[in-house]
This record gives sequence, structure tokens and C-alpha cells, in this order.
Amino acid sequence: MKVLLTGATSGIGFETLKQLVNNGCFVYAIGRDFSKIELFLKENRSSIETYEFDLAIVDNIENIFSKLDLDNGKLDAMIHCAGIEETTPLIQSTPEKLDHMFNINVFSGIELLRSFSKKKYCNDGASVVFLSSVMGILGQPGKIGYCASKAAVLGVVKSSALELARRKIRVNAVLPGIVNTPMTKLLFESINESQIDKIKEMHPLGFGEVEDVVPTILFLISDKARWITGQSFVIDGGYSVH
Amino acid sequence: MDKKSFILKLQNDLELETEINETSILKDLDEWDSMTEMVLIGLVNEEFSVRLNHDDIEKISTVDSLIEIIGFDKFD
Ligand SMILES: NC(=O)c1ccc[n+]([C@@H]2O[C@H](COP(=O)([O-])OP(=O)(O)OC[C@H]3O[C@@H](n4cnc5c(N)ncnc54)[C@H](OP(=O)(O)O)[C@@H]3O)[C@@H](O)[C@H]2O)c1
Repeated sequence: MKVLLTGATSGIGFETLKQLVNNGCFVYAIGRDFSKIELFLKENRSSIETYEFDLAIVDNIENIFSKLDLDNGKLDAMIHCAGIEETTPLIQSTPEKLDHMFNINVFSGIELLRSFSKKKYCNDGASVVFLSSVMGILGQPGKIGYCASKAAVLGVVKSSALELARRKIRVNAVLPGIVNTPMTKLLFESINESQIDKIKEMHPLGFGEVEDVVPTILFLISDKARWITGQSFVIDGGYSVH
Repeated sequence: MDKKSFILKLQNDLELETEINETSILKDLDEWDSMTEMVLIGLVNEEFSVRLNHDDIEKISTVDSLIEIIGFDKFD
């Protein structure tokens, strides 16, 4: 299976990369700073091709596809893990800030999908997974841009699932609660212990680990999920049940 | 940014109704709550590229103490 993966250098994306390689997939990995996973890349050179790319430059995304070496077959799946999270209260949510957030969390995803879904790049029956967030269906103070962008991803998923169904291309979203990654480490640095405990309490099964999220992503790109499209899968240790 | 403009920016962005100066105790302000804290973190990050963590927030008392945490070298 040939998989295009963004956010491959960290957190959920890196764990996805590891599990894809372990399952015998060939991965076209997109990230900005591959030095973070240098050792893993060295050990798995034959299964991974890396592309250093800043997804904020949405207009150039199509160029990535023209560079992919697809001589031995087209893509079977795309997993869009790259994303940014930011705490920005409404008063500071300027168009410029929202633009940046939407560029990476939403527009880059649409542009990746627009190219990926072309007949020359992906096979019929291919599968796409977007990383939304439980924040795409819930709210939190200071998260207007993040919540709005992750909710927008769900719109993209539903609409494109319908549009691409005629080629049996499936599009789904995964919505994690708080998972221990470099992204959440940064978030926790700005709040105190008692605030962290409060957030933890809201997750009946505690905070998640990347290993708790990736199996669902792999399931969704597998043939076992061939009748599933346009759906959102919440993986949040019970957070959204409250 | 000079100290005076910073205090003015604080006054504006935190939407404070009483006038503040270097010796005002931020946490005693009527407007001080978790949202104000969030706005302050955003403001300092944007203006000075300094990310205030929860220890920094704990340490803040007066406006001057905030300026010290941000770093005197960041002010003209
Ligand atoms: N962790 C959570 O609790 C959680 C919860 C819900 C949803 N999510 C979502 O899950 C996804 C992965 O999160 P994570 O926690 O694994 O985050 P992470 O550890 O911070 O990793 C983010 C990844 O996105 C890439 N990225 C960011 N900006 C980019 C840009 N401009 N161009 C190219 N790549 C860029 C980074 O690449 P470089 O490092 O190479 O720049 C990195 O690989 C995100 O979409 C996030 O919103 C996470």
C-alpha cells in the first residue's frame, strides 16, 4: 500500500508513520523538520520517501504531487496529520491569525485532497483520513480559531466523501481528545497543575497516547472499512460524553 | 516598545476600566480572571515573542514585575 502522510515528523503523525512501515506500507512523508526522526528514517530508508514542505504555502502543494515517484503504482491512501493548535482569545483572533490557522488546518487539507483525488495520482477505492479534533464538535474558551478550523474539516470530509464516492474513494475524520504529544506539551506549559488536573478529570479514561489513536486511522485506510465514508470517529477517553 | 506604550496596550487589550501604572497589582484588578490571563499570554507572545508559562503567571504581581518577567532588554 502506498500512503501519503503529512505531519510525519511528530506526535500522532510519527506514530502513524511507524505503524504504516511496520505493516509493510510505502510512505511518502511530508514534514518540515525531519531531523527530529532521523534515526527512524535511517533504519527504514527503503520504506519512506521524505518531502520537506511548509504546508502554509498552500499554492505550492500541487508541486509535491508532481515530484512523487509513482512509477510502481499510484497512491492508495492519504493521511493528513499536520496541524497547529493555538490558544487565542476572541479579542486577539485577527483575520491574519485565523488565516494562518485555516491555511494549515483546513486549506492545506483541501488542496492536498484536490491533488490526491486526481486520477493520475490515486487509485479508485483509495482512502483519506483527516485529523480533526473533539474540538471540532465541542467548544472551549480561547479556541475560536482551532475549534472553527477543526469543525471545517468535518464539512470537508462529508462533502468530499459524497463527491468522490463514484470512484469509491472514501474520506473520514478522526477526532481525538487530549493525547500526549509535543503539541499538548506546549499547551500544558501555559497552564497550572490544577488546570491540567481539571482537564484530565474531564477525560474519564485519562489522557490518551498516540498508540490509542493510530489503530483507528489504520483501520480507516484498510479494506475492512470499505463501506465507511464521510464519518467522524471520536477517540477521546470519554471526554465528549459529558 | 517603550514601557509607556506597553502599559497603554495592556489597558486597551485587557479592556481595563481603571487606569494602571507600573505599580498597579494586576491580579487585584476587577477584570482579572482566567480569560484576562489568556489575553495577557497572547499579547506578550505577540509583542515580545515571549511565551509566559504558568510559573511566570504565578509570579506576576505589579505591572513592573510583568515587565521584569518579559525582560527589561525587550523594552526601549
Ligand atoms: N495531540 C492532541 O491532543 C490532539 C487532539 C486532537 C487533535 N489533534 C490533531 O492531530 C494532528 C496531529 O497533532 P499532534 O499532537 O501529533 O501534533 P504535533 O506533535 O505538534 O505535530 C504536528 C505535525 O504537523 C506538522 N506541521 C505543522 N505545521 C506545519 C506546516 N506549516 N507545514 C508542514 N507541516 C506542518 C509538524 O511538522 P514539523 O514538526 O516537521 O514542522 C508536525 O509533524 C493535528 O492536526 C492536531 O490538531 C491532536
